[in-house]
Amino acid sequence: MKDFDFEVLVVGSGAGGSMAAYELTKAGHKVLMLEAGRDYNPKTETPMFKRNGEAPLMGAGNKDKDFGFYDATVDGGWQVPDEPYTAAENSEFLWWRSRMLGGRTNHWGRYSLRFSEHDFKGKSRDGLGADWPFDYDDIAPWYDKTEALVGVCGTNTGLDDMPPSSDGILQPPPKPRITELLIAAAANKLGIPSAPMHRAVLTRPLDSRAACFYATPCGHGCSIGAAFQTTTSLIPMARATGNLQVITDAMVKSVDTDENGKVTGVSYVDKKTATVHQLKAKVVILAASACESARLLLNSKSTRFPNGLANSSGQVGKNLMDSTGANIGAMVPALQGRPAYNEDGHTANHLFIPWWGHKAQERKELDFPRGYHFEIGARFREPGAGIEGNVQGYGLELKRQVKHNYGAYVGFALRGEMVPNEFCYMDIDPEVKDKWGIPVARFHWKWSEHELKQVEHGLKTAQAIFAEMGVTLSELPTPEQAILKGGEIIHEVGTTRMGASPKDSVTNQWGQSWDCPNLFVMDGGVFASNPHKNCTLTIMTLAMRNSSWLSAQLKQGAI
Amino acid sequence: MAKDQNNTVDQQEMQYKSGITRRDSLKLMMALAASALLPAALTGCDSAPVSKTDVGAGVAKASTEHWPDLKLSPITATGYGKDPNLILPPESPWPLTLTQAQLSLVAVLSDILVPREGSVPSASEVHVPAVVDEWVSAPYERQQEDRVTILSALAWIDDEAQMRFDNTFVALDKTQRKAIMDDIAYDIAETPAQFKRIATAFGRFRALVLAAFFCTPEGTKDIGYLGNVPIGGDYPGPTKEAYEHLDKVLADLGLTEYAYPIQA
Repeated sequence: MKDFDFEVLVVGSGAGGSMAAYELTKAGHKVLMLEAGRDYNPKTETPMFKRNGEAPLMGAGNKDKDFGFYDATVDGGWQVPDEPYTAAENSEFLWWRSRMLGGRTNHWGRYSLRFSEHDFKGKSRDGLGADWPFDYDDIAPWYDKTEALVGVCGTNTGLDDMPPSSDGILQPPPKPRITELLIAAAANKLGIPSAPMHRAVLTRPLDSRAACFYATPCGHGCSIGAAFQTTTSLIPMARATGNLQVITDAMVKSVDTDENGKVTGVSYVDKKTATVHQLKAKVVILAASACESARLLLNSKSTRFPNGLANSSGQVGKNLMDSTGANIGAMVPALQGRPAYNEDGHTANHLFIPWWGHKAQERKELDFPRGYHFEIGARFREPGAGIEGNVQGYGLELKRQVKHNYGAYVGFALRGEMVPNEFCYMDIDPEVKDKWGIPVARFHWKWSEHELKQVEHGLKTAQAIFAEMGVTLSELPTPEQAILKGGEIIHEVGTTRMGASPKDSVTNQWGQSWDCPNLFVMDGGVFASNPHKNCTLTIMTLAMRNSSWLSAQLKQGAI
Repeated sequence: MAKDQNNTVDQQEMQYKSGITRRDSLKLMMALAASALLPAALTGCDSAPVSKTDVGAGVAKASTEHWPDLKLSPITATGYGKDPNLILPPESPWPLTLTQAQLSLVAVLSDILVPREGSVPSASEVHVPAVVDEWVSAPYERQQEDRVTILSALAWIDDEAQMRFDNTFVALDKTQRKAIMDDIAYDIAETPAQFKRIATAFGRFRALVLAAFFCTPEGTKDIGYLGNVPIGGDYPGPTKEAYEHLDKVLADLGLTEYAYPIQA
């Protein structure tokens, strides 16, 4: 990069890093982006329309491809070769990474729900965790801008868990499926609403990106750009300004500082040559994912920063949160043998069940503090390595059973907010290093009663909805059995949280580290809490808002 | 329950060739029927009934409990890695391990499970045994567990055939095959104790065969999957017939008044 006089260095090319690069390059700043994984071209590499039957093992997942053969994750998943992580005794945590341009945006679920004022001020309401250092009204215009740029389909529902977008921002959602309509009616009888999911999937063309044609799973990636990923949108758009350069296979190992504690740049390993390079930058933005950015800071020790960089509060690595997760499902006889039609749609939820319990929590009727939602899995799927339901026998009668069950299985996936606790954090393993000699992250994890009681409520609610659909779930798992592992929902956030005071937070509301004014964090690490609504839209919205603020600071000469 | 056992593989006469790629072998999988002429012993899979009882000639009764003690050589292949080509999936991601005799048995069993149905082909006609072979030969944890389960089931079935009818399963006639199938193809509360274990193992095999069948273009059409085709304009949503069926379901469940509003 000898010929490229960049001003800002961005670590990471996922949701946060790409939005930062887009916003800054559009404002005229030269940006260099480092990505630890390989280059990736969704136009040529996405297995559009490929059938499970064409893949090894009918597309089934395994340790090489955890989410199935066609999942758009390169060199990653629950384990990255030669880049381990560890867990403390009695802790279990799963950490999903990818090593590719665009990071995890290439395969994410695209669910894009706004956080609300309620979400941002949890501590003010119930005394738990931390408030965010701004109000919903401060960020609402940035949600509008982000949704308009990304392209989000959905509707304004008027529900208290779903703050409205400004008129004309959302694209129309697809029609609900039969299974979702049955679930919605069953839930409605219990006073539980259903609503169109908000998804970062275009139902109308936007710039050079095509509208969804309602085929081929979004998890494969999307070569036509309908399902949002930074490799078909923000990165090419930022490159088109002429202000962005990208280096792939560049694993950053430390953020470097001078004797005054000012950030001077980064050191990275060129994975292709296994050589270390130093880069100087006026501003460094970390967007390597919450735990990679925190790992990087904790590994950037110096005599001036013996506990790691930007860690005077001691909060780097702390406050690690994931979403709660639990799955519960059953065969619904009322759906067996139903008329066939093309139920792919945009290949994920058209309707879902948003959190409906705000009022009940206000009235202290619930024994857990934070909400959850249900995602719905129920449709005529493309056949894969499994079959639905319990079938017996052989011959044509066996085939008849399989066809009768097809599209009649209903699964609910609970996604809930956890409250940060002192037992959930990451630090640096004192012994283990990765292939590049970089000390690895070590995770500590323990769910609290808040999460277990929430999951218990969710299981009982799902049981009640199933009962309305004519299905008796006689025995529920315990919440301890049902709750998924920490990290398993891949919504890990909070390890460099923002706040109103340098005493108990790592950055201010702009993602600017309290300790080093020219060091920013723009990934999920800055989350002060982890509302149940999936983190990516808010990662991008904060990155846009905070890059805009950074640009103004640079132009004013304040940084 | 057990009508339609027209085992199409029985009528095929092609030579099975080893050492060919996965998709070539798919084309030749019909050859498996020739297996009836092959040696009955399962090579590479040292199986012996644990408790053989009453193996008199002509005994056509259900046996007592037995289970093969397989000594499987470990799968040492590596997987396809974390960055395989997704556009052109690997043809032969790992060496296949089923013996010719095992493949023949898989083919016969697959067609008992999924026989030809009018114009819809049977499991072996769409090369399900090749998928089973790829599955049990795969160097991954889940598949390795299934390998033990499924190879044990195959060995058990041949052991049972020997004990009852003094022959391999593929060499049995339809009535004899049916007698064994009717004992092991139902993993339910009423399953006799001596068939519990094989019924569960056979259930895993059955699920794999069904998945492999319905994953083929013919099977996918047969199950009625209508997606994965690009649509111009908005997603059309359910058909009139599907909505009418839903209305009936809602009425039956007393949910009509709670229906989610549908825009015209």
